[in-house]
Amino acid sequence: MKKHNLIVKLIYLIPILLTLSGCWNQSQIEERAYVIAIGLDKAEASNRIKVTYLIANPEYGSQIQGGGTEEPPQEIISFVTDDITTSRNAANAVIAKEITYDLLRVMVVSEEFAQDKDFVRWMYDSTKDPEIRRDIHLVVSKENASEFFQKNKPRLETRPHKYFELALSRGIETGMLPNSELLQYFRITEADAELFLAMYGTTQNKDKDEQDNDNDHFTAGEFQFEGETNQTNFAGSAVFKEGKMIGKLSGDETRISVILNPTLDASDILTTYKDPFNKKYRIAVRVNKKSANKVEMDLKADKPSINVTIPLEIEVLSAHSMVDYERDINKREKLKKSIEKELTNKIEKFVARTQEEFKAEPFGWSFIARKQFLTIPAYKKFDWMKTYPDMKVNIDVQITFGQFGRQSELPKLDEIRD
Amino acid sequence: MEKSTGKIGIKEYIAIILLTIGTKLADDLPSIIYNSLYNAAWMMPIISGILVIIPLYLLIKTMMYYKEKSLLEIVVHLLGKYLGFIVIFALWIVGSITIIIDTAIYTDIIGTMYFSRTPTIILYFVLVGVCAYGAKRGIEQIGSVARALLPYIKISILIALILTMIQGNLDFLFPFFGPGEWTVIKESSLRLSIYGDILYLSLLTPYIRNANDFKKGTWIAFVILVAELTIAFFAYLLLFDFESVRMLSYPFHEVIRYINFGFLTNVETFFFPFWLIATFVRFAVYFYLNGILFGRLFRIKDFEHVIPSLATLFLLLGMILENNPIALTHVRDYLLIFVTPIFFGLPCILWIVAKLKGDYKNEKT
Repeated sequence: MKKHNLIVKLIYLIPILLTLSGCWNQSQIEERAYVIAIGLDKAEASNRIKVTYLIANPEYGSQIQGGGTEEPPQEIISFVTDDITTSRNAANAVIAKEITYDLLRVMVVSEEFAQDKDFVRWMYDSTKDPEIRRDIHLVVSKENASEFFQKNKPRLETRPHKYFELALSRGIETGMLPNSELLQYFRITEADAELFLAMYGTTQNKDKDEQDNDNDHFTAGEFQFEGETNQTNFAGSAVFKEGKMIGKLSGDETRISVILNPTLDASDILTTYKDPFNKKYRIAVRVNKKSANKVEMDLKADKPSINVTIPLEIEVLSAHSMVDYERDINKREKLKKSIEKELTNKIEKFVARTQEEFKAEPFGWSFIARKQFLTIPAYKKFDWMKTYPDMKVNIDVQITFGQFGRQSELPKLDEIRD
Repeated sequence: MEKSTGKIGIKEYIAIILLTIGTKLADDLPSIIYNSLYNAAWMMPIISGILVIIPLYLLIKTMMYYKEKSLLEIVVHLLGKYLGFIVIFALWIVGSITIIIDTAIYTDIIGTMYFSRTPTIILYFVLVGVCAYGAKRGIEQIGSVARALLPYIKISILIALILTMIQGNLDFLFPFFGPGEWTVIKESSLRLSIYGDILYLSLLTPYIRNANDFKKGTWIAFVILVAELTIAFFAYLLLFDFESVRMLSYPFHEVIRYINFGFLTNVETFFFPFWLIATFVRFAVYFYLNGILFGRLFRIKDFEHVIPSLATLFLLLGMILENNPIALTHVRDYLLIFVTPIFFGLPCILWIVAKLKGDYKNEKT
């Protein structure tokens, strides 16, 4: 009897084993082509797009197998297709392996395509595909995305997934790039009150054009550099309103947006300001946002107004004028006033630009405004995006000084030259 | 070794309640609630939780009075043979419809979010098969599995929710009252039945070792559930904002795809198995309860043997629905609203009848 039972149990086990092995979704790493970045361009035919895949070679640079393979780190393929989901099959005409978006990190869109009125439609395709995750970064390129990928030749970080990860996350840390995940794109587009900022990058560089005096006032492509390196540069941001690109911000303006916006973050902003004692020189500083901005709004008035107080901690890294700021409290006070004035002017100018040019703001102020409404219908009736351009915005920058660098004393210049 | 009694203790009972109702935060329930309540959705578990205290209190009071009887016997005792049969039959039908709709939805979640190429019928078959097998093993086994796995499942969900809240934005809570105070209260009370499983779970009293365990267990689990659902609705809102969250079919699964642990991405592969196990336990309990009702209706003593046949029936019915997952969410919402009066009314009626019959007085003197 017992023996009989055992046999019956074994017979039951077999179909269970079969269900375990019958994984329809199972596939091996070497059977898949991992798309790290996807590029989208306008196609000549209407309602079609040009898709570019940047496919990484997972064997390249790996430690096992004695240092990888002879095969190149990546391959690129561009073609015209109907949408980004079915394009995976079409690409198989060229690519031998099954194409997967599991490791997709970056979506690059050409400026021309982003400005298209149908751009939103293509973006919403990506909400349907379960393999496209919402933490992918959206990057706008000045040229066509296909050209962008072909010209992008990282020298020291040849593995493409590492390259994008490092380049973009560093840009976010320094405040030159906004954190532009797809999640935010959809959230802001659907909330319909704010502007969305996407990272801006290019491989085309302006030649010999005079770069602005102020050294952060450039967008990707305007930065002048020489040497043997990758042509690609990322700086500044593309402005999206209602899901469509409507303008560009320089690196400097992106930083202001980051400083003003509680939902964006930057931790390592290095920049320069005018020296109040010698207009010729600029002082190098590190800007830290230690506490949240104080935003007060009066929305009930005929002309609604916003008062923003921005507390910043500034570490003076070096002063070319060799003015002794460390020990002279009056000079420090003057420097403080000067930076506050410079920053306030800059921010006010930029706020005015958003009111006049974009007619909406990317600072997350609508979320603060919401607190003044009890219900969604009341908030919708107020219509933040419509009201914003006519608002009175007062900016107040308050600076506290942090450290003054490693060495506290500077020699008197005339004494050295004596 | 402890001898098997076929009964469960308070820990197992609490684990079963937490897994059957708690799993709802990770299916399309949030989507249903957000659709009518926008950013005030997180208030819904609290408001309906407060209202649910009334039927729950009356239910437990009635149950505790007839300690030696099961819920079904009480129903027959108080309402008479015919009315009692109708009530039990209605409970069985509602329970069956719930199983059919919910299994179809869960199959859709697994199919669209994770195993997009596996044929639906296979996913459905495996889901129903595993759960029916679990149910057939009896409540004691389900209980011990639930109790053993509960900490892991709840800790994994808690980690996911905390990570979500860290990456979210508190400002998305406002405007505080969402679509308006009255709408919030109205829509919340219409969907009390998210806690309706408790009524069904009280069918388990004959299998609980001690009657007081039932009373204590229900209240403890209920408080944890209200907190859990509130936190979950809160977390999704903070990450997505109210317009976007309404467009998601399964917010929990979007959330675990989005969040990351520092350098670790694709963490859904960590959370998904726990969710899957919770799902198995949940439907095993559902099948078991359905078996109890069916057994009582048609006087089948060893109802556990009926479960596989019932499961096959539900599988076939569910396959018909499966073709239309979008409609399913609507059907589920109607079901929630439809079940609410039953869940609220039945304990009240039982208590009133017991009071009128004077059974309470007799016992006390």
